[in-house]
Amino acid sequence: MPGLARVIKCLVWDLDGTLWAGVQAEGDAPAPRPDVLALMDELRQRGIVQSVASRNDPGAGARLLALPALAGRFVAPQIGWQPKDVSLRRIAGELNIGLDALAFVDDSPFERAAVAAVLPEVLVLAPPDLPALLARPEFAGGPGTAEAAARPRLYQEEAARRAAERDFAGDRQRFLESCAMVLEVRPAQPADLPRIDELVARTNQLNSTGYRYPAADIARRVADPAGYLVPVARLRDRFGAYGLIGAALVDRQGAPGPWLVELLMLSCRVEGRGIPAALLRLLLGLAAAAGVPALDALYRPNPQNRQMALLLRALGFRATGRPGPADPAATGATVYRRGTAPPLPPYPAWLTLDVQGFAREAL
Amino acid sequence: MTGSEDWRAVVRRLLAAVLDRPAAALAALPDDTPLFGPELNLDSFSGMVLLVAIERDYGCDLAADDLGLESLETIGTLAAYLRGASARPPAPG
Repeated sequence: MPGLARVIKCLVWDLDGTLWAGVQAEGDAPAPRPDVLALMDELRQRGIVQSVASRNDPGAGARLLALPALAGRFVAPQIGWQPKDVSLRRIAGELNIGLDALAFVDDSPFERAAVAAVLPEVLVLAPPDLPALLARPEFAGGPGTAEAAARPRLYQEEAARRAAERDFAGDRQRFLESCAMVLEVRPAQPADLPRIDELVARTNQLNSTGYRYPAADIARRVADPAGYLVPVARLRDRFGAYGLIGAALVDRQGAPGPWLVELLMLSCRVEGRGIPAALLRLLLGLAAAAGVPALDALYRPNPQNRQMALLLRALGFRATGRPGPADPAATGATVYRRGTAPPLPPYPAWLTLDVQGFAREAL
Repeated sequence: MTGSEDWRAVVRRLLAAVLDRPAAALAALPDDTPLFGPELNLDSFSGMVLLVAIERDYGCDLAADDLGLESLETIGTLAAYLRGASARPPAPG
């Protein structure tokens, strides 16, 4: 995938021989390698979560992960007799991230080769690779944001949501209504910039162009409210707060021309809740309120972001066949357009909107 | 399968599965029912599930072949697209 820098979001650990020396004999308390624990702490600071794929007795494994040195460190750990590629698939599914966002470290050449053969997308590592890990670009993480530091908690809240969804036995609409979701949208503030930059670096499926804007380009737009509209979205529900999960860059292009959505991006953690549609619908409402007759949006296809093309179509945008402006951010992109005359599409019924700092008539 | 009638049935069957609706409810909708309209309420997420199902069952990567997703207008336009795609030989490689 040219142009898409790889970002590791979760490092999956083998236990015996990797997290500690040798094979854990029954009854002994294992001693996790101090260098490994320090590495985990640093990765966590960078927003990279840790999980476990271990072939072991599930009960014994649960006791190991409850050890004081390890408790609370892992999300969606998989301990059982299943092949490790099955465990890795489950972890990616639980976290709702791509397999290419997983790295896997194991001391067994057999396990490494088995995973590499079945799941070529996964970055496979041996313990000797660990000391150099922090210097690798895939593990750079984002800047230290509140969302990055809270990521293990966010993934645990997501596990609670998934458990609650199973209780609704497939009635997704009723489940979504029961979540009491509130979408808060505000104009971006300078304090939001590190998290916006992190979304620029990390989002794939729900990113309309995949262009990785330099931080200075984002900061310039946020500092120019007359030229650009940069809304940021935060989501909360009865399980907790997701934090800042989405943003858009909208070029007003001077009156009265259509506004241009240069970028719409959302964290894949909010997938399947109508949040991208709500944010795009809000942009249509803001454009309509400002007397702008049409809203344009850039879309550049890549193998991961087809959902964004579907989103544009679902809200009534149509490909114009025209290329975007002569700008590196728009290279290879096409312009989608929708008029802003009423009726605009409805907001998802299960969502409460909390929108401030924009034109009041937008809603 | 060559008749467009059959592909209309295929599209209705896929939609019934993706949207978790009874087949009879889909059979009652006319061919010009918009996919993203109020009757079907397909959204970007369920639309993605539909594309994945089409690729899995019919080997047709619609989003790659139809960049503007023009075929995703109505039940009828999607059926016509799939009928055309099934008549074309697979791309080399």
